[in-house]
Amino acid sequence: MPQMMYRDAVVTTIAEEMARDPNVVVLGEDVVGGMGTAGGPEAIGGIWSTSAGLFGKFGADRVIDTPISESAIIGAAGGLALSGKRPVAELMFADFIGVSLDQIWNQLAKFHYMFGGKTKCPAVIRMAYGAGYNAAAQHSQSVHQILTGMPGLKVIMPSTPADVKGLLRTAIRDDDPVIFLEHKALYGISGEVPDDPDFAIPFGHARLSRAGQDVTIVSSGLLLGFCEAVADKLLAEGIGCDVIDLRSTSPLDEETILDSVEVTGRFLIVDEAPPRCGLAADICALVANKAFASLKAPPQAITPPHTPIPFARELESAYLPSVDRIEAAVRKLLAWRRGN
Amino acid sequence: MADIRPFCMPKWGIEMTEGTIAEWMVQEGESITRGQTLCLIETAKITNEVEAEYDAVARRVLVPAGSGAQPVGTLLAVFADAAATDAEIDAFIDGFRPADTQVAARKPAAAPAAAAATAAPTKIMTNRPISPEALKLAQAEGVDIADLEGSGRGGRITYQDVQQASLPKADPVLHGAAALVVEDGKAFASPLALRIAARHGIALAGVTGTGRRGRISKADVLALVPAPAPAKAVTAAPDLAAVANQAEIVPFDRIRKIVARRLTEAKQQIPHFYLRISVRADALLAMRKTANAVLGCKASVNDYIVKAVANALARHPDVNVQVHGDELHRFPHADVAIAVASPKGLVTPVVRRADLLRIDQIAAATRALIDRAAAGRLSFDDMDGGTFSVSNLGMMGVEQFDAIINPPQGAILAVGAAARQPVEAASGGVQFETRIALTLSVDHRAIDGAAGAAFLTTLKDLIEAPEGLFA
Repeated sequence: MPQMMYRDAVVTTIAEEMARDPNVVVLGEDVVGGMGTAGGPEAIGGIWSTSAGLFGKFGADRVIDTPISESAIIGAAGGLALSGKRPVAELMFADFIGVSLDQIWNQLAKFHYMFGGKTKCPAVIRMAYGAGYNAAAQHSQSVHQILTGMPGLKVIMPSTPADVKGLLRTAIRDDDPVIFLEHKALYGISGEVPDDPDFAIPFGHARLSRAGQDVTIVSSGLLLGFCEAVADKLLAEGIGCDVIDLRSTSPLDEETILDSVEVTGRFLIVDEAPPRCGLAADICALVANKAFASLKAPPQAITPPHTPIPFARELESAYLPSVDRIEAAVRKLLAWRRGN
Repeated sequence: MADIRPFCMPKWGIEMTEGTIAEWMVQEGESITRGQTLCLIETAKITNEVEAEYDAVARRVLVPAGSGAQPVGTLLAVFADAAATDAEIDAFIDGFRPADTQVAARKPAAAPAAAAATAAPTKIMTNRPISPEALKLAQAEGVDIADLEGSGRGGRITYQDVQQASLPKADPVLHGAAALVVEDGKAFASPLALRIAARHGIALAGVTGTGRRGRISKADVLALVPAPAPAKAVTAAPDLAAVANQAEIVPFDRIRKIVARRLTEAKQQIPHFYLRISVRADALLAMRKTANAVLGCKASVNDYIVKAVANALARHPDVNVQVHGDELHRFPHADVAIAVASPKGLVTPVVRRADLLRIDQIAAATRALIDRAAAGRLSFDDMDGGTFSVSNLGMMGVEQFDAIINPPQGAILAVGAAARQPVEAASGGVQFETRIALTLSVDHRAIDGAAGAAFLTTLKDLIEAPEGLFA
């Protein structure tokens, strides 16, 4: 299988789907990448280089630069989707859902339901999320838990180039609005990617990336790699960890999580969003409710603190869950003392 | 520190205050494994096996079998790992205080005096944030909270933090890594299904998943696991006289010992007498078909008989009684115990207020009880009480029999098979009708012959004119 970068998996998959289906169109800020500059179209290639080369292949009708207005981007994507196109809209930063939330939350997510099922809304909204780039409080946030709480949306967050390819293809072909979250710290990682032009991964199917029988660790995105590193380290001591990559938070793969906890009896979730009313608390509650009989220790969660993301490099490092914190949480689970 | 755990007299129901060890199945010093039967505990109402909840060594048995009733919470034995020293065990026994199980009946006034009589808790003076219950526990257990890390907001110490500090260190059993099956992108299965498939060498490509979102589930894979080849049948040996007829010696298990003792006592101590009657069941059998269709239930003949018995008992409270020493307990409603053969032996779960239930409700209640009995899952509450018993061997073809009274009840009805019999018709000729033989076993201390006969007459009328069951 060919090696490919995470960001190239994004471009390649969009290009393959645009070639397959003329209804697929791309829109967003600077997706052409240099339009209006001295170098001309594609001179720059977008800030994440996730649409490089599309304009040259598919032209201005299908690769649309938009004004700097997220409301307009998502509103246009909603209209395109209702009129039979398959828009792939890009928000440069996931943090900008704030200014387009009515379009996402009250319009796209609800069309199919409010029109009595007579319409479909096959829109994909891609957005770059996550901390680690010293981009401060307004350009580093993880918004998946806010969007997961909105019925009508599917929320996908791949952690490997192969998953980008399999899941983005499913997203574009899906008839519902899909939020596709790309972690900006992962754009540069490489991995093997199947070259089958129909390779797709169904939603709601988590991936087991390490297998062990002592502790279950659930994560996604950037932090999944931290969890894998901890699992590999602890294996030397005979501690086996199931590491589960959620891949999608809506729909959620309950079965994989519960199957694993029923074996291990110890549960840890590591998530990049803030702790209150969040995904980590939600899945801890799921485990406490449905796997109580198997638990050997209280479910543990590692998240950043309940505070806006700091700008200073040292503070941002302290803010993000670290390998050390994950390891300590696993050891705490194993050291839990059971009374009668 | 060693892992030492107490084994106390359990509390099986709100009314249970004490229990008696009938028999220990483990010896002092013996290793026990989770699920193993530890002992047989008898209460006023039930006898149950107690299973080990964890692996350990039975280090001390403090209350030997047959030493009388012990209050709930009494320390019966001490289990620990082999590493615990005798001195540690002794210290544990000395320091043991039974948990307060009397939540509902707790008397606040009496508590301080009792607490003062035992160890006086050391007062902890601290400015650290700590919950009131956590402070109480720290004082009672003598936990030093100075170095304790609080898991609450702002480092506040919770009850759980103190409880953790007071418990012995954990010694988790590690199971290590498991085989990681990498997805091939062609078949999407749950990790558990993948593991099972790998273990049995089953290829999942092309398998249709029946799980959520079309995923291949554990059940889908297990369906593909080839069944083990059945053992070949052995052909019979021709020389039949040479076949050994060696007795297989099966000692009574604990439940059977109790059943044997109770029934012996009942038969020896209760002055039984027997009233026999035969009833015509044609109308009942005909009505059963119609009524079941109308009510949408599958009530059995026995369910109808239980209903008839319950209605007759409601009209004859003199028969709806329990005998307790020199007292007669007379009940307004019929709680009918039904004799059920279960894998563990004869059990008698109770259909409650059967006189108030409609026939379909009786059928549903009975079906649930029989299912639980077959699974060995009858609870204390299922078998507690009962004002009368019905034992039916009719479905096995037994024509008639006499049953032994189930104390403290005053009577039991034995029901035989429905059989076609020739009788003299009103015209003087011979006609056939379906008849059922009933035997009422009665405790003469509580119920006289005339009262029993009046009850049987009402029962006969209800069975022969079953419209009365719906009155």
